Amino acid sequence: MATTETNILNRLYFVAGSMFVFALAVVFKLCVIQFVQGDEYRELAEERTIQNMDIPANRGNVYSVDGSLLATSIPKYDIRIDAIQPKQELFNTLVRPLADSLSRYSGKPLSYHLNKIKKARLDKNRYFLLARDISYSDYIRIRNFPMLNLGAIRGGLIVTQEEKRDHPMGGIAERTIGYEKIDEDGNVTRPGIDGYFGKTYLRGTNGKRLMQKIGNRKWKPIVDYDQVEPQDGYDVYTTIDVNIQDIAHHSLLGQLEKYEADHGCAVVMDVKTGEIKAISNLGRNQSGSYYERLNYAVGESHEPGSTFKVMAFMAALEDKVIDTSTIVDTKNGSKRFYGRTISDSRGHGKISAARALEVSSNIGLATIINDHYSKQPKKFINRLKGWKLHNKLGVSLIGEGKPVIPEPGDAIWSKNALPSMAYGYNLRMTPLQTLTFYNAIANDGEMIRPRFINAVKEFDREVKSFDKEVINQKICSDKTLGEIREILKNVVVRGTGQRMYSENFSMAGKTGTARTDYYDFEEWKKDRKYVSSFAGYFPADNPKYSCIVVIHKPSTKVGFYGADVSGPVFKRIAQKIYTETPLIDEVESLEVVDVKIEEQYESFYKTSRLHKTIMPDVVGLPAMDALALLENMGLKVNMRGTGTVKTQSINKGIKVKLNQIIVLGT
Amino acid sequence: MIIFISVLAIIMIASAHSADQKVYEIARLKNEAKELRSAFVDGRSQLMRLKMESSIIKKVVEKGIIISEIPPQKIKVKTQN
Repeated sequence: MATTETNILNRLYFVAGSMFVFALAVVFKLCVIQFVQGDEYRELAEERTIQNMDIPANRGNVYSVDGSLLATSIPKYDIRIDAIQPKQELFNTLVRPLADSLSRYSGKPLSYHLNKIKKARLDKNRYFLLARDISYSDYIRIRNFPMLNLGAIRGGLIVTQEEKRDHPMGGIAERTIGYEKIDEDGNVTRPGIDGYFGKTYLRGTNGKRLMQKIGNRKWKPIVDYDQVEPQDGYDVYTTIDVNIQDIAHHSLLGQLEKYEADHGCAVVMDVKTGEIKAISNLGRNQSGSYYERLNYAVGESHEPGSTFKVMAFMAALEDKVIDTSTIVDTKNGSKRFYGRTISDSRGHGKISAARALEVSSNIGLATIINDHYSKQPKKFINRLKGWKLHNKLGVSLIGEGKPVIPEPGDAIWSKNALPSMAYGYNLRMTPLQTLTFYNAIANDGEMIRPRFINAVKEFDREVKSFDKEVINQKICSDKTLGEIREILKNVVVRGTGQRMYSENFSMAGKTGTARTDYYDFEEWKKDRKYVSSFAGYFPADNPKYSCIVVIHKPSTKVGFYGADVSGPVFKRIAQKIYTETPLIDEVESLEVVDVKIEEQYESFYKTSRLHKTIMPDVVGLPAMDALALLENMGLKVNMRGTGTVKTQSINKGIKVKLNQIIVLGT
Repeated sequence: MIIFISVLAIIMIASAHSADQKVYEIARLKNEAKELRSAFVDGRSQLMRLKMESSIIKKVVEKGIIISEIPPQKIKVKTQN
């Protein structure tokens, strides 16, 4: 085909037309994006650059009674390394010094760290963890290690920071101070005070604020006010006394280690107010060391054993079915009740009821209760229920154990139930519930709910304060109280707690040695397991603190009696509090006129005026006075010993010279 | 007129930038405050552990100092305060 003008024109029209259609399509698409999908995209763009962001509220702190921090939120650091970021040469020279520093920090061998880091580089790991959840001072230390001190670009250091809950006291009372943890599935665990008061006081509410992205992962506020102001959490002031807590923790730990026990707890309560001054719960892990594992004192309901004899005995006293001098026959350490044998560690024969409690005779208590209540068990049970022993205490911690007090008609009720209950079996109580009862005895019969917190504050402003809460105004008559307190005092003086006795300070309480895990009795006989406890208060006459110590499954090779296993913890706490309170002697005035001293002074004064160069008679004078007198005259006194002067080497009336030597005998 | 508007525009841009700058500054200071707080709590918890009676007992026992069996005696004179 020849090239003509028309041909070219046609082609030109075609090209121009196609371009026009293409342009139209572009315009059409633009319009679609702008007007049809526009809203959607604009929203997306805004979402990317503008967000209504949460402003996290600061969680409140938990304080002890003296204002020490028990729980607070602080940043913790994770240190990682980008193992392929440092240049090969740099890596080769610095990896060894780094591993060396790390091994000195962690205590693991140098080769361990060296191999790990080298392997990370081989694996091209750009996010290799070196240390997790470390404190600020450790973070500063690690940041200055070789290679890491070159920073992110050259050394490959990666630091991530996260707000974590920290307990400055470490493992001490950790279970009771507690925390609040929410996992990925939204399940919440809330042990301790931090957990219980988390929602109501500590947490606070998050705020909201519109923010615009300005690059470098930073956001700037669009308006200069918050949409919702964040409300920081309140601070919680607990009743825990760090000093007593420290002693309770370490003496309990010492006993658990000595007796290789499974777990144990110690609780100290202020008699008048019900404040828990110390609470320690230690359980054994697989490697045999102890840590705050569970809140045994609050959560573990178990057969209390002999510490419950006090309740049974008081019921009998209060119902006036016995008095302390009633004679009870404890036989020779073995007696049958309804076809079942109850035994004592040794026989006591015929003794008074009070003595039966002092020596903790199972037979004695079982006999008393069985003799007087077997026809009317309801009366005994109702007495216990009147003391609210069948109810939870309602303390401000989650997971309180439920006590069990059986009654006729229950599945665990039988003819044997009543004598068993008399010495603390066939029923369940938590250590804290037992303590609450003993505290009531110490507090003149007023039963108070144990309390863990004093106040909730926002800085210095008090949001809420907590006062003592009475469970039972008067658990029994003053007569019963006086009698039981006398017996509890005697337990330590001459009963089962005798080995704890101290002449320096007084204690009162009851030992307990209960069998546990005995459902398969043959099995139990092979490997005897006991719960050793001691509950009581001190000082015996004007009680200030009540305390319970329960230790589960001590090694029977070392010992298992309550007075040996748990008693020393109790004693150590009592001693600590005793030695901390100064004995105060009050004197009316310093201006005391003592006739004898006045006379002595007068005669001393007279002699010193009279004798300047002539030797006085110093025989009979106190050595101190004679010394002063003679040295003032310019004599050299040679004297040994103390007391009054008996002989003098220069007789009286003789003229003396300066620096003359005189020998005095005492 | 145009000059006035461009001056205004320049001021606007400058102030927007300085605002951004302040945000960075605030973020930096916040981080620093956090670190200082962390250092404070860290120091305090170390102090708490050191001053606890049980750790003091351990430290002084080699010097032959043990805990007293009896409390201190305090003499109080009523007429003097």
